[in-house]
Formats: sequence, structure tokens, C-alpha cells
Amino acid sequence: MMMNGEATTEADLFLNCTDMSVLERQRAHLNNYNHHHPGFFSNSSTINCGEMDGFLASAGLDLPAIYGDTTVYSDARLSASQGNITTESGNFKKRKFGCVETETKVCNEKKKMMMYREVVVDEEEEEKSKITEQSTKNIMKMKMKNKAKKEQNSCSNDSSKVTKDSQKTDYIHVRARRGQATDSHSIAERARREKISERMKFLQDLVPGCDKITGKAGMLDEIINYVQSLQRQVEFLSMKLATVSPRLDFNIDDLFTKEAVSDPMMNLPNTVMPPHMMVNSGYPHDLVNSGYVDFNPMQQVVTSSDPLPCFNNGQASSMWDSDVQNLYSSLGV
Amino acid sequence: SSMNEEFLKKWQMGLQIFSPSIDNTSVSERKRAIKLSADVAMASLRKGTTCWSRALIQKTATEDNFLVRQMLSGIKEEPLINKKLPKVMCHRKIVRRSKKILMRRKSRSAMEEVAAKKLVKKKTQGLRNVVPGGEFMSSNVLLIQETLDYIISLQTQVNVMKSIVDAAEAGIER
Repeated sequence: MMMNGEATTEADLFLNCTDMSVLERQRAHLNNYNHHHPGFFSNSSTINCGEMDGFLASAGLDLPAIYGDTTVYSDARLSASQGNITTESGNFKKRKFGCVETETKVCNEKKKMMMYREVVVDEEEEEKSKITEQSTKNIMKMKMKNKAKKEQNSCSNDSSKVTKDSQKTDYIHVRARRGQATDSHSIAERARREKISERMKFLQDLVPGCDKITGKAGMLDEIINYVQSLQRQVEFLSMKLATVSPRLDFNIDDLFTKEAVSDPMMNLPNTVMPPHMMVNSGYPHDLVNSGYVDFNPMQQVVTSSDPLPCFNNGQASSMWDSDVQNLYSSLGV
Repeated sequence: SSMNEEFLKKWQMGLQIFSPSIDNTSVSERKRAIKLSADVAMASLRKGTTCWSRALIQKTATEDNFLVRQMLSGIKEEPLINKKLPKVMCHRKIVRRSKKILMRRKSRSAMEEVAAKKLVKKKTQGLRNVVPGGEFMSSNVLLIQETLDYIISLQTQVNVMKSIVDAAEAGIER
């Protein structure tokens, strides 16, 4: 009964004090702890710590200062309580080592990063965090292994020195948002999702018409369609090529064309070779069909002067010569 | 542009392997030869560094082992032809089943989120079906990466083939 009374007052205190500074809240909270029997404390610890965590999550900048002040108390109180809370006390202890002022900067930056990632990351995250973590586990501080650490380091370059000073081992201070889990799994997952969305951005540039589409499912749809269309195009083109030439050896002039139009081709798959280039390249009709060319193209063309007049239709002789030279050198004969 | 040239070279080399035997055969025969050598040429540009290229080479090898061997004879990719790709397929079913069980236990109110996730999963599966070797890509990150590279290679292939076709056609029109 007394418990309930106490609990409700504390609850009221917490629920109503959005304007209170965090410091006051913390002090009030711990004063309550100080007055009570440890046994009582252990019973209601979950309630209290839950509330406290909520505040800690939303407290923002003031926290490190508070940690500095109240560390002793929190250690004493929390160590008396159940298992899952002791980790928090451990965390508080670790916080003590950090430089308070610089950590605010870290917190700021990380918070911004977190906020940014909130925009980028899907709804998956919310659900997963609910499944894997309870709200009591909004721990400020945790160990992070390789993957997550890499990401954090890349995000907070300036503050890495700070964190280095303040840490003996590989600890990275992670500010978890309210309702977000901070264990290594979810952080690693978040890092993974970041990677995926990064690469999806590249895909967006690559696949035409994807800039307007937001959302993974739509993007993936477009990508699938595009890949399928490209594959179909290959099929169609190979069929066309088979019908066009009775023989399979494609001729030097084709190679020349290749050289001449290599730049325009790079842009989009849908670019057709500019017609003027076609004209200038001057494909003699007879040469294509007569099967004159077989595959030692370069030596033949360059060494003997006879084929050349056939290639030149007079309009683009200069172009032909340069093409020949280019292709010759590029093929490294 | 250098990629275009390399592709063309390799493709031509592959076509040459057919050359003596295939002149004046049916259109479909020629088409098959053209496509297969183009595919192997495209895949060999990656020199076995990507999953899709290995899978594509393996796939083509089942259709025309001789061609593949000949085309890759100069390169150390030979062993890749026989390499077994890791099979991850069976794991997915187990994961899916266990997730279904989990879902039943927890009645989530946010059904839309779950539906959205399911849709995304469906689409990624679709992508895996389209990209060669997709079923063997263990992570989504890898899948997207491979898709990127595959798209670029496909674009190269299409571009070169297009220009060849256009050249050949223009030649004929004259």
C-alpha cells in the first residue's frame, strides 16, 4: 500500500515534470530512493528504472552532468536491486570516466546521427527493437564490436579522440532513442540497413526513372523490371544479329564503329548510334555480305593498301584513318 | 569505353570458336551461339570476383561446356567452372517457419508494418530470381551490390550488341 502510494507519487512526479530540468528530476528520484528500504526499492525498481530510462533517453545534453553528480548515489541504490539494473549502474560508473563537456558534444553529434538515421531507416527497426529489447534496457552505454564501431566512428570523427581518451577498451557511447534497443545486434542491424540504403541510392542513379520512387518495394520493383528488360534486350539483339548476318564473324567495320562511338554508348543503354556517324563510317555493302573479312582484321587492313579504298567512300577518309590507328593501337597488335 | 572494347574482344573470340561449324546453320543456332558467347564474355570481364559472374559462367557451362572451357582457357577462372556455389536455400525455409511461429505468438497491432516488410521480402526474392546466382547470395547487402555490378555489365553488353547490330544493318542498307 505504501509502495503504491510511493509509486504513484513518483509516477506523478515523473509524468508531470516535462518542464522540470532533468537534474531536478534526477535528484528527486534519488531522494526517493534514499528514503526507502532497499527491499522496497527492489520491488518497485522496475517501475522506477523504467521511468528513469525514459527520462534519460529524452534528457539530451544534461545527462552527462547528471551522471557526474549522481553517480555515487546511483551506484549505491542500483547495486541493491535486481540483475538487469546492475548493468545500468555499471554503465553509470563508466560514464564517470568520461569528460563531461566533451561528451555532450559526442551526445549531440550522435543524437543528430541517430535522428538522421531515423529518417533513412525503415519501420523494421521499431518492430525489431520491441521484440528484442524491453524499454527497461535503454542503456546509455554499451560495448560495440567491429561493425557497429566502424559505423559510429565514421559518423563522429571529431569526437573519436574524446572517446578514445575516455575509454580503456572499445567502448562507444551510443545514445539510444526512446524505444530503441542499444545492444550490439540492433546496432549491427542498423549498420547493415545503412549499407543497404546506401547501395540502393546508387541503384537509383543507375536505373532510369527511379528518382521519383521512394520506398524499398517500389525501388526493387523497378530494378527487377529494368534487369529483366535488359536481359530481354540481349536476347532480342542476339536474335537480330543472327538474322542479319549469315556468318558469325563480325567485321572490321564493326570494330571501327565500335571505336568511333564508344563515348556516346557509355551514357544510356537506349542510345542508338548517332546516324551521322554511321554515314561517315561508310560501310561498303559488299564487304559486309561477301564475308570478305575474317578475323585477322588488323594486319590486313593496315598493311595492305588495297582494302582501304573500299572502305573509304570519300566522305570520311580522315575519320577512317584515325579510327584505324586508334583501333590498331588499342588492340595492341 | 575500355570495358566495351574488352567485351567485344572476348565476344569475338568466343564467336570464333563456333566459326567453322556454324556458318549457314539455322537462325536459332546462331542466336544461341551469339548469346552464349556474349554472356560468357560479359561474365569473364569480372574475372570471377563477383557472385553473379561465377553463377552465369556455371549456367552457360551446363549448356555448352566446350565453349566455356575454350573461352576461359587463358584465364585462371577455369577452376571456377567446377566450383560449387554454396547453397543457402534450405536455411531460408527454416527461418521463415520459425518467424511464422513467432508471429503467431505476438499479436502485433501494426499489421501494416509487417505487410510492408513482407512485400519487401517478396521483392528481394524476385530480385534473387532475376540476378544470376541470386539464390546463393547470403545477405541483402551482397545482393544489392551484385545487382549494381550486374546492371552495369548488362548495359555494356546491350550497348555493344546494339552498335554491332546497327552497324551490320546499316551496312546492309547500303
